[in-house]
Amino acid sequence: MAEDLVLDTAIRDWVLIPLSVVMVLIGVLRYFVSKLMRSDQVPDLKIVKEGQVIIRARNLRAAANFIPAKSFRARRHYYSNEENGLLHVPKGQAQNPQAQMFSDPNMAMDMMKKNLSMIIPQTLTFAWVNFFFSGFVAAKIPFPLTQRFRAMLQNGIDLSTVDVSYVSSRSWYFLNLFGLRGLFSLILGEDNATDDTQRMMQMGGFGFDPTRSLGAEKDNLDIVQHEWALPKFEQRAESVLKKLVQK
Amino acid sequence: MVSKTEDEQLIRLENQVENGGGGTWEYLSLVRKLKLRRSDKVFKYGSAILADPKKRSALGPEEWTLYEQVAIAAMDCQHLDLAKGYIKVLQGKFRESKRVGRLEAMLLEAKGLWSEAEKAYSSLLEDNQFDQVIHKRRVAMAKAQGNLAGAIEWLNKYLETFMADHDAWRELAEIYVSLQMYKQAAFCYEELLLTQPTIPLYHLAYADVLYTLGGLENLHAAKKYYAATIDLTGGKNTRALFGCGSAIAQLTRGRNRDDKDNSELQSLSAAALEKAYKQQSPTKVSALSSALRSLKVSS
Repeated sequence: MAEDLVLDTAIRDWVLIPLSVVMVLIGVLRYFVSKLMRSDQVPDLKIVKEGQVIIRARNLRAAANFIPAKSFRARRHYYSNEENGLLHVPKGQAQNPQAQMFSDPNMAMDMMKKNLSMIIPQTLTFAWVNFFFSGFVAAKIPFPLTQRFRAMLQNGIDLSTVDVSYVSSRSWYFLNLFGLRGLFSLILGEDNATDDTQRMMQMGGFGFDPTRSLGAEKDNLDIVQHEWALPKFEQRAESVLKKLVQK
Repeated sequence: MVSKTEDEQLIRLENQVENGGGGTWEYLSLVRKLKLRRSDKVFKYGSAILADPKKRSALGPEEWTLYEQVAIAAMDCQHLDLAKGYIKVLQGKFRESKRVGRLEAMLLEAKGLWSEAEKAYSSLLEDNQFDQVIHKRRVAMAKAQGNLAGAIEWLNKYLETFMADHDAWRELAEIYVSLQMYKQAAFCYEELLLTQPTIPLYHLAYADVLYTLGGLENLHAAKKYYAATIDLTGGKNTRALFGCGSAIAQLTRGRNRDDKDNSELQSLSAAALEKAYKQQSPTKVSALSSALRSLKVSS
């Protein structure tokens, strides 16, 4: 860590700026490609209905005390009886999401399209960066950093003696990949499709199962203790009126 | 639901627009966002914007949204020719669009060509069975023809899928009440109470239905819901006060007044009524007291 490295201005002109520009352009291109390939999904009748049932059952649970006990019991029976209750899921019918995905070719197709528009350009740009710019020190950030940032900023340079504030070209690529989101939302509008980080999270959480939430809602509904809130209101109304009359 | 700040903003903008202070587009956008029915004003100001090519093109892509909004408003105001013109413009721009197709069907409906409109709506629904607007248009159409049973049928079909739509429940409840099917109406009002338990109007309507149904249990419940309305409105709702008084009068009829808590609520509501009448319409106090006497409320 002797004296400062001097970076050639040609590196700025031929590595740093082109890399950023290419990243932005690829992002924009990908947005339009995915817009072209997007098929508008028609939701399944069953799924829409299940969503609505869940909302209604949740309302029932939250506001149960506002309706008479008889009405509450009738509704609870309607939702959770074992024969044809809306929330009751017969045992064998609980499809697992994996099987559902394969049974519905549209869904698999959609996934593939999404992945195509995400993974292919990413691998290509990564290969491109790797091939042309491997081992470059592309920039220097104007403040010192601790050793821990070495893995983040100097990916591709295996030297422990270079000061951490130098950024390798491959790291610059990664910084762009994740840092350009704000810029994209400026150029392409708020909800653009280039949100990589979010999509990665979605991949992890894939496999939402509506039947499971139906079952959970049923269990919740079964343990609700109904206590009619209205008798209390009589006293409250009395006190309200007393105040009003005395005024 | 329109929040208070939005309501204030709307009134401010409306005044501003009416006095020629500009902000027309903001006003129209707000009306659209809040889904209000201000057809006369939307038509008047919106068509003025559309008639001026410079103003129109300044809106950019929003221009088409405005065309749609003004077309609907024009149909509501029975300016069918103008509405037809606007829809034609949209047709030229968006061929094969479902949304424009919906407008065309609505134009048929506005002309009173029921069977044609019905046909158009059902063909649109075949393409997309989740178009809630079309489902609701069908209900409205049945209602416009005076076919309340049909309206109930369509609404029930709609609610089978979209059962969390409280506006539809409310519509259904009101139709049931108008057909004197009170048991069904009571169910709908219960559903409304579940979705929005803090709105006093639902408590009041439910209490009315229960009171009309009659019977000891229902009257007791009606009294409680009138009390809840009184509590939620701070005793400002005259109908609830009357309802509370008469429900208790019904309950105590033919019995000695041994329920002490009942009579207290009754006399209190009578007192509140008297006070409100004295403040707001002193000429009708005598009518009130005779009415209360007939209920054996005032001692």
